[in-house]
Amino acid sequence: MLSCSPLPSIERARPLLGTVVAVRVRGAAPRAAHCAIERAFAAISEIHQLMSFQENTSDVSRMNREAAHAPVTVHPHTFRVLAWAARLAQLSEGLFDASIGSKLVEWGVLAAPHADALPDPSVSFRDIELGSARQVFFKRPLWVDLGGIAKGYAVDRAVAALHACGIRSACVNAGGDLRTIGAEAERIALRAAEAPRDVLPTLEIQGRALATSCGASASRFHAGNRVGCHVSGRTRQALDTHTTVSVLAARCVIADALTKVVLADEAAALPLLHRFHAVAHVHHPDRPGHGWRELGARQ
Amino acid sequence: MKARLLLIPLSPLALVAPAYAVTYLTVEQAQTLMFEGSVLTRDFRVLTPEQIQAIESDSGVKVANPQLNAWRDGAGGWFVLDQVIGKHEFINYAVALDANGAVRQLEILDYHESYGGEVHLPAWRRQFVGKHHGSQLQLNGDIKNISGATLSCGHVTDGVRRLLSTYALVLAAAEH
Repeated sequence: MLSCSPLPSIERARPLLGTVVAVRVRGAAPRAAHCAIERAFAAISEIHQLMSFQENTSDVSRMNREAAHAPVTVHPHTFRVLAWAARLAQLSEGLFDASIGSKLVEWGVLAAPHADALPDPSVSFRDIELGSARQVFFKRPLWVDLGGIAKGYAVDRAVAALHACGIRSACVNAGGDLRTIGAEAERIALRAAEAPRDVLPTLEIQGRALATSCGASASRFHAGNRVGCHVSGRTRQALDTHTTVSVLAARCVIADALTKVVLADEAAALPLLHRFHAVAHVHHPDRPGHGWRELGARQ
Repeated sequence: MKARLLLIPLSPLALVAPAYAVTYLTVEQAQTLMFEGSVLTRDFRVLTPEQIQAIESDSGVKVANPQLNAWRDGAGGWFVLDQVIGKHEFINYAVALDANGAVRQLEILDYHESYGGEVHLPAWRRQFVGKHHGSQLQLNGDIKNISGATLSCGHVTDGVRRLLSTYALVLAAAEH
């Protein structure tokens, strides 16, 4: 059992990325800590502005309006996130797929980005072309949503900003997608949608990222079925609304995206977890005991 | 790699405690952070029914509390404290407005979340009034983070829209 931090810590929080983002810095003088926290918030705010599905001026909105007609040049961060999304889509054979925007619009989770008709439901990540000089082209009209990966990337950018300010010990938590830096271990409580309330599941992490996704998030009924904000890229069906997945990985962008892959198909996710040295904790209320299962840990 | 899940039994007392509560800044800390070097003068108001109606009509957001907790600085800026109540969350936050009424900075002071419907009970909310940094309720001692379904902040966005209308219709209007 680890003890509490002996170093002074300063923590602040702002509403960003549609959630509460908290940044905690330890062991730095207050002025340096506040300056670093400002930089971390600025880094997250930049990703929010670039990758918001709803804001008209974001790279994502520009792509969704124009990239089926002509190549769109995007910011290096957006291009990097698209490249991660493409890689994860290939490795997961489409379980992770950023072209699911139209499904979320159909379900009412997201508002339609413009007045055009819903894109063809058969589009996939294979219709997204990443060219040279940060150009993006869609082979067919489609709506990209980076909601399944951008939050994790934003957390990584905030951590990079803290590093650049000389901060050695910190935690960035964007509504449950988080990453820590420093030698100190953090104890994190996991919250599953339908977990028993008589135990508190916790993990200790040090210098790693943790992301949690739950099929029941923002759930609603659509055409008589309960749907959440997560879609299987392969089947275009809502992911199980009873299951909650937490993934530990080196980077938050990986942890964030892999939660969706595990939610979609635990067996198919296993090679990806191994590839990225990641571990998943999956909760389902029907599982015996307290309902948790660990996936991906190397023996 | 340490990645084993540890299941900590909870006492019956913990079962009735809020699922998640954290304090980031006290009011004084937020004022120092947002208006360093300025002298803030307390200028609290009680909104009249007419003002409430005008704010609601302008912002499209309901005014739950007629008490307006505002401080002015010497240069025309304002520090405003506000709270929003969502389905499961109760958030105190502070906004710094510049002399033109634009949001210069926003800081969440504390965040309280419950699994159940307690968030709408005055008694549940009252337990957080007057809490200071370091005395906040916590999940369990040294556990300072939670990873789960995304925490909600949509109501803060609505709250800021309401405050901007309040500024235009009440605070700025009184100065002209």
